[in-house]
Amino acid sequence: MKTRIFSVLCENVPGVMMRISRPFTRRQINLDSITVGIEPTGLARIILMFKEDDRMAEFMRRVLVRVEPIVSVEVIEPERSIVREVTLLKTKKLNKKQLLKMVQQIERAGGRVLESKNNMVIAELSGEHDEIERVINALGPKILKEVARSGQVLISRVG
Amino acid sequence: MVKLTGSKALFEALKAEGVKHIFGIPGGAVIPIYDALYDVHEIRHILTRHEQGAAHAADGYARALGKQGVCMTTSGPGATNLTTGILNAYMDSSPVVAISGQVSTQSLGTDAFQEADMLSVMLPITKHNFIIHRAEELPSVVKLAFKIAITGRPGPVHIDVPKSVQVSKADFKIPAKIKYEKSPKLEPEAGQIKKAVDMLTKAEQPVIYAGGGVIWSSASAEVVKLAEMLGAPVTTSLLGKGLIPEDHPLALGMLGMHGRMAANLAVTESDVLLAVGARFSDRSTGDVSSFAPKAKIIHIDIDPVEIGKNVRVDLPIIGDAKRALTAIIKGLRSHARRGRTSKWIRRVKKLRKDLAPRMDYDEIPIKPQRVIKEIMSVLDENAIIVTEVGQCQMWTAHFYMVRKPRHFISSGGLGTMGFGFPAAMGVKVARPKCDVVNIAGDGSFLMNSQELATVVENKINVVSCIFNNRYLGMVKQWQDMFFQKRRSATCLGKVPNFVKLAEAYNAWGDRATRPSEVAPKLREALRCGKPAVLDIPIDPDEHVLPMVPAGGRIDQMLT
Repeated sequence: MKTRIFSVLCENVPGVMMRISRPFTRRQINLDSITVGIEPTGLARIILMFKEDDRMAEFMRRVLVRVEPIVSVEVIEPERSIVREVTLLKTKKLNKKQLLKMVQQIERAGGRVLESKNNMVIAELSGEHDEIERVINALGPKILKEVARSGQVLISRVG
Repeated sequence: MVKLTGSKALFEALKAEGVKHIFGIPGGAVIPIYDALYDVHEIRHILTRHEQGAAHAADGYARALGKQGVCMTTSGPGATNLTTGILNAYMDSSPVVAISGQVSTQSLGTDAFQEADMLSVMLPITKHNFIIHRAEELPSVVKLAFKIAITGRPGPVHIDVPKSVQVSKADFKIPAKIKYEKSPKLEPEAGQIKKAVDMLTKAEQPVIYAGGGVIWSSASAEVVKLAEMLGAPVTTSLLGKGLIPEDHPLALGMLGMHGRMAANLAVTESDVLLAVGARFSDRSTGDVSSFAPKAKIIHIDIDPVEIGKNVRVDLPIIGDAKRALTAIIKGLRSHARRGRTSKWIRRVKKLRKDLAPRMDYDEIPIKPQRVIKEIMSVLDENAIIVTEVGQCQMWTAHFYMVRKPRHFISSGGLGTMGFGFPAAMGVKVARPKCDVVNIAGDGSFLMNSQELATVVENKINVVSCIFNNRYLGMVKQWQDMFFQKRRSATCLGKVPNFVKLAEAYNAWGDRATRPSEVAPKLREALRCGKPAVLDIPIDPDEHVLPMVPAGGRIDQMLT
């Protein structure tokens, strides 16, 4: 099933996340990513990602439009937008070889090391979801101890 | 600007909305509101005996009047007792405004006495819900709640009012108007209307399938007009009963599981099905893959979520039913080719005649079909029929001919046993000059029979006709038909004596055991000047037939 992206503009009030996520829960749809940012107007911009077929995706769009604190629901085509995710990676205690592999992988992917102490490293990596996924898989659980991911944020392209 | 307590401001706001009646029960967390009510003379409060009764009464009131019904309770158990009634209103798109007390804001989330997280509980079962954190918000929240409840597709709204908000004083301004951003699109698109007109003029076997949305849009007359112009028969959902007088030559009666066979066959044979204000529920459609198989489907609805939800739709029209139908009628007027349906009308009239249900049974115990016939012989078209849920409801839906919109009130989507009696109470308060008859089963009636106290104390003279078969009848019917007659836990035994139960509350009570007794005793019940209970022992083995098994094809009914 295709990945769907909704950009939901809504009032920034307690409970709004519950009002948005509940209709998905009820229909057994797993939200792969939720990110929230506050717009200059004070409204919240919530980016939702999930996988569904065309019919269900359109149904969910209509269901969300009906939710009172939601101002608008924009369907974003991934190719018409710039999508990014920020990830923080913490390693286990590494040997020299592992340490080298880690730093090389991160730098090749455009990331940077933020902290390094006692053969443990914290690095930051930002980019497209699939690229981050690739790096994490390449490093694997023997190297990585902890991964914190922002979820995907996006903005539609200019023109 | 006046400095008032939140409680006083609440009633100023309710008065500004034109509220005349509230159904409710006080309790610890709502005493300040009830204290303010003590001085309010413009609003009549009806003290029910259970909060569920208050919610159903407000629902019945709303459906009978076409405006918001209000119920009020305390926090915790008082508020959670509302939930069945609120969900019932949500499923049937009824504008109930529910107000409940809540523990003080500083106690929220501490498991304080009688605290329930009502924001979370009510969220999935209301059109929208609020908790008021600051007293100043109260008038605008009330205004918005009333607006949301009635706008577009109606639905219930809950307002949670913490005790601290009830007692704090603030400068209140009751807003005359409120900006509401989510008003739905009312005007249908001209292009879609034109397409609908084209499809309908080309139709040779059109059928109109209309539901509760037509009643909320006050578009009953337009449905009848369109049916007559097109030569199209009309079938309705349960909630649409009465939108066309059911003795009208083009009325087919209800569609679906317990609908009229003529309606089910007409829909199956139709080449264009115009659905309006109906949601194609599984009880109406049966197996969707064989529903209206030859028809192009036009669906008019104000709620875009309903379009294509259950069945494929060839032409969606989003907008208000009355406006859409009016536009179609206008379009048809200027269209030259009309009236190719005479053969179809003959076919439909023959179906209707050949498949007319039989009601003239003389047996004892009385057959329920005969009871309906007797009730119809007593009541005129202005009487309002309310039903409980189950066999009694489906017999009424199938056999009773309702002749006006808002004159048949029943729990559709949720199928709530115990709805009928308190809802009838709300209906009678809303329409005191109409005879209001609750058609009940013995199982359903016992689920809210405590409201006998309410109707007697408040002189709300409704009549309950109890179709008494000593069973949870519809479940028993399914057990008989689909579970090898294994009647597990459906026999209700010999008690209570419903006549004595009525008399215990100082209501009128009597029993009709012969077919010939039903009409005279019902007349007596209507004239007795008290709330009344007429116990009618019926044949316990009688099923509601014909019937489409769940998920079956509607043109293949068991008889």
